[in-house]
Amino acid sequence: MIKAETSSKPEAAFVLLGMQSLFWFIAAISSAPFVLAGEYAMAGLVVVTLLLSLATLLLGIGVLWRRRRARGFAIALEVVCLFGAALLLLIPIGANHGPVSLMVNVALPIAVIVLLRKDPRESFS
Amino acid sequence: MFDISPDHAIGLYFGLAALPLALLALRLRPSRRTVPGTVLGASVLMAMAGAIHLGLVWTHLGEIITTALFVINGLAYIALSQLFTWRWWRVASASLITMTLLGYLGYIVLGFDTPDQVALATKLIELTALGLVLVPVRGEQRRRRWRWGTLGVAVPFLTVVSLSVIWIDALARPDAQHAHAGALLQATNDVATPEQVAAAQQLYDATAVAIAPYRDWHAAWAAGYRPGGPQNMPSTHWMNQHNVDAGYVMDPRHPQGLVYANTKHGPVLLGAMFQMQHIGQFGPDPGGPLTAWHQHENICFTPFGFEFSFMTPTATCPIGAIDISASPMLHVWIVDNPGGRFAVDIDDKVVRRIDQS
Repeated sequence: MIKAETSSKPEAAFVLLGMQSLFWFIAAISSAPFVLAGEYAMAGLVVVTLLLSLATLLLGIGVLWRRRRARGFAIALEVVCLFGAALLLLIPIGANHGPVSLMVNVALPIAVIVLLRKDPRESFS
Repeated sequence: MFDISPDHAIGLYFGLAALPLALLALRLRPSRRTVPGTVLGASVLMAMAGAIHLGLVWTHLGEIITTALFVINGLAYIALSQLFTWRWWRVASASLITMTLLGYLGYIVLGFDTPDQVALATKLIELTALGLVLVPVRGEQRRRRWRWGTLGVAVPFLTVVSLSVIWIDALARPDAQHAHAGALLQATNDVATPEQVAAAQQLYDATAVAIAPYRDWHAAWAAGYRPGGPQNMPSTHWMNQHNVDAGYVMDPRHPQGLVYANTKHGPVLLGAMFQMQHIGQFGPDPGGPLTAWHQHENICFTPFGFEFSFMTPTATCPIGAIDISASPMLHVWIVDNPGGRFAVDIDDKVVRRIDQS
């Protein structure tokens, strides 16, 4: 039998933030060949995306350790992601609106925000 | 990869229908209060994955082995989604998810299936479920170190491998409607009729004559064409914003773009590009399959340097780039292109040969 002693929402948020970090890591690495092909401005984007990937993972660890500041930053990050996703959904530039896009860019940030809402059982410090 | 295969769509409906049912099933189980929320989350996700697999049975009845695997997989997922108080639940769930992921990748590599949005969504659900199954929560002492180790290795490894295999397969083996790099081709008849061959020749001749003055790039510049993107690439599209805004449709005298090879002798004209104004609006196709238009979809565009990369299978672009589609275009290559006079792309060898000449 597995017993619950405290809320496990931070652990669930950690898993989702870890997945998000991996998605950005893959986006950065997959853009690197374009830099080698001569798209030098892409190098800056690759570096920034790698840093964001690392930052997201660190935020996940902070949430796991119940750090209040990490929780705040994580929620802020997901709100920004949702805002960007909403823009891409509304502006007619041919952005992908498939189920995977909705899962990764809309459902995942919403899930993280919901998981990190204030919970009386949870003590962030 | 970015489409929903018709025989997989039913799986998506089954998965969505399973979500409220799985939540309801949990509410009816008093034992839910004895397990962490991560376990309940994994239970719901596994119920969804199981429902998707069972939903796919109906459209794969002709494939006996695949159907059997879907049934076994679906039932196993649903059974495990309800057995979360079982002592070996974590080991059994992690094993099932891992075997399902690796089995699917085997199917893809062997060419038995083509990845689509339903498959990708299912894999993401399974990977998230795996993370929730493995992650230890506060207060849990059993096998804590082992679980952290497994979580830290298995989830990143399986995520990167799964997405890489799916992506490589989609790029290496595009379906009939997609050219290289996922460009969507206009639907046409299979073999050009003599009339279509003649019409394609007429379009080629008219375009070749009309753009001949632009062999001198200064003339193109004077006419309003400007290079877009980096000049250190093998070739560059020069766009004429006036012709784009005017909405000329396949007018050889007013092509929206010109394509130049960037050689050591300076820009060398390779051909013209016609482009429609709106996404999804394919242009006239006088040559049938010979002059099919194409639309680039799911590309990551950054205004910094006007550069592009590919969107990942998880619909993610690097920070600073956005996912866009380019409206349909048709190239007319006036140099000898092995892929054809109206091919989606110019052959790199042609550009290299021009550069070395």
